[in-house]
Amino acid sequence: MSEAAKDAPTTGWAPEIEELQFRRAEAQRLGGVEAVQKHHDQNRLTIRERIAGLVDGGSFQEVGGLTGQGRYADGKLTGVTPAPYVMGLANIDGRPVAVGGEDFTIRGGTSWSGDRKKGGQGGFIEDLAASYLIPLVNLIDGSGGSVTSINRRGHAVFPGVHGFERSVELMGKVPVISAVLGTAAGGPAGRAILSHWSVMVKGTSQVFAAGPPVVERSLGQKIHKEDLGGADIAVDHSGTIDNRAKDEAECFAMIKRYLSYMPQNVWEMPPVVDTGDPADRAEDALASIVPRDRRRPYNMRKLVELVADKGSIFEIQPTYGKALITAFARMNGKVVGILANNPMVYGGAMDVRAARKQTHFIELCDSFHIPLVFFVDVPGFMVGKDAEAAATLREGMRAVYVALQASVPMFTVVVRKCYGMAGMGATDKNGLDFKVAWPSAEWGSLPIEGGVAAAFRREIAAAPDPKAREREIEAELRSMASPFRTAEAFGVEDIIDPRETRAYLCRFIDAAQVRIRTTLGPKARYGVRP
Amino acid sequence: MAECEAKSEVTGSVWKIVTEVGQKVDAGDTIMIIESMKMEIPVIAEEGGTIKAFLVKEETPVTEGQVVAVLES
Repeated sequence: MSEAAKDAPTTGWAPEIEELQFRRAEAQRLGGVEAVQKHHDQNRLTIRERIAGLVDGGSFQEVGGLTGQGRYADGKLTGVTPAPYVMGLANIDGRPVAVGGEDFTIRGGTSWSGDRKKGGQGGFIEDLAASYLIPLVNLIDGSGGSVTSINRRGHAVFPGVHGFERSVELMGKVPVISAVLGTAAGGPAGRAILSHWSVMVKGTSQVFAAGPPVVERSLGQKIHKEDLGGADIAVDHSGTIDNRAKDEAECFAMIKRYLSYMPQNVWEMPPVVDTGDPADRAEDALASIVPRDRRRPYNMRKLVELVADKGSIFEIQPTYGKALITAFARMNGKVVGILANNPMVYGGAMDVRAARKQTHFIELCDSFHIPLVFFVDVPGFMVGKDAEAAATLREGMRAVYVALQASVPMFTVVVRKCYGMAGMGATDKNGLDFKVAWPSAEWGSLPIEGGVAAAFRREIAAAPDPKAREREIEAELRSMASPFRTAEAFGVEDIIDPRETRAYLCRFIDAAQVRIRTTLGPKARYGVRP
Repeated sequence: MAECEAKSEVTGSVWKIVTEVGQKVDAGDTIMIIESMKMEIPVIAEEGGTIKAFLVKEETPVTEGQVVAVLES
């Protein structure tokens, strides 16, 4: 008989409570002092520190803290190696969320299996988010599957034994955010991408399908993990991950910021916040921000800042697809999704990356009932051999497709150029089709300078001075292209003084809130995208 | 002194170099102008510094991401 059994009290459960406390203390130690120090030496926080840095103080209620592997001597518990995943319920800015992440200090966050999975894909934490319809935050720091599992289990595991079905289901129900806080390959990398928004930390995190050893074996390519999947590649170059943070603390601040724009789930309205910024604020700088010289770009970010509630802009994918600016913002406290072409990048022409960014952002806002505001200055899709080779047109038409499937209210402000299918893709053709324009606006099927050369080719070639004749024809057409003429025909719903933009938009965004309430719930999607 | 690279955001050609080697620029100043998509797109200094070298000449092509100037801050 064990010592514990001999000394068992006749009433009460004190020994068991003591054991519970001991086991909980063991769970707090994670991988032990040395492993934690090694982790810290790499500028990385432990999963418990990360959760503490993210959630409201004292709000973390852990679930499954007793999971792991007990160590016993003579039947007596001497210690517990915790399971390498910590998770539970917590509050972020007072709102309940499900949060969890790998404990890298224990076997790189891998190789534990119980009767039920805790986290990653198909774990309790996903079930919690799905069951309670609360946001899910994944703090990813695990290296994924390993061939050592064959030894451990005595057989090869079919891939996806814990599948992504729940992860995908969550994408239509609650906000899912993933932060990559270490080297994520395979499953953890996939988990990070099956999110509405993802962020990684510069220098200490990487994302790739497979790491350097597999890459070298498969392709003979020797490459360092940072060059293969660091933020420069995964965020800036490829847009695989949305945003980058300079350190873990900034990462947590960004997660909280992102969540502040989102409802708890798709059955709720996005939260309204009183920003204290008067809806009728009219900024004089807007009157001259667009240069009269059509060849000159301007700072579209500054333009949007002058219109939206002060301090309310949160840019998504700022370093990818730079011809387009996508951001959450508030207008008189109501959340909006802003899509603004950036004339500083290819004159705002929509290239394949901007198109991809637009497609994702429209679907995101549509799913979470966030009205869209387009600030348009787009000469069309990007042209040229490289653009065609990159399938710009197909990607662009995909962006057009999702806009036509979206049912959230959209507002179009034509700042300057609005041409072709890219221009049309910034309008609400299936909805109210409400377009207001600035006096600097110009539009058509294609820009005059491109169109004249094509349509009047013979006349220009036959003229004594072809270049002069081309310019003459351009000037004639341009004189008829004043936006006011289009407004006479109600081809555009209104032309406004740029300084009126904020007040004008706020009126209609406020009025549209009731309508949004009538279409809450999951967004059904039909058809096949091109 | 740290060196910092100024890159072209776009593929196009160098239209006008509006600064000189040795000139001090502030963050936000235009270093040179690239012509692309019939637009005059400025290469803007991200940080203040002194222009150390130009890596391109006027009327030469540039590709997206190409380093066009080096600054010392």
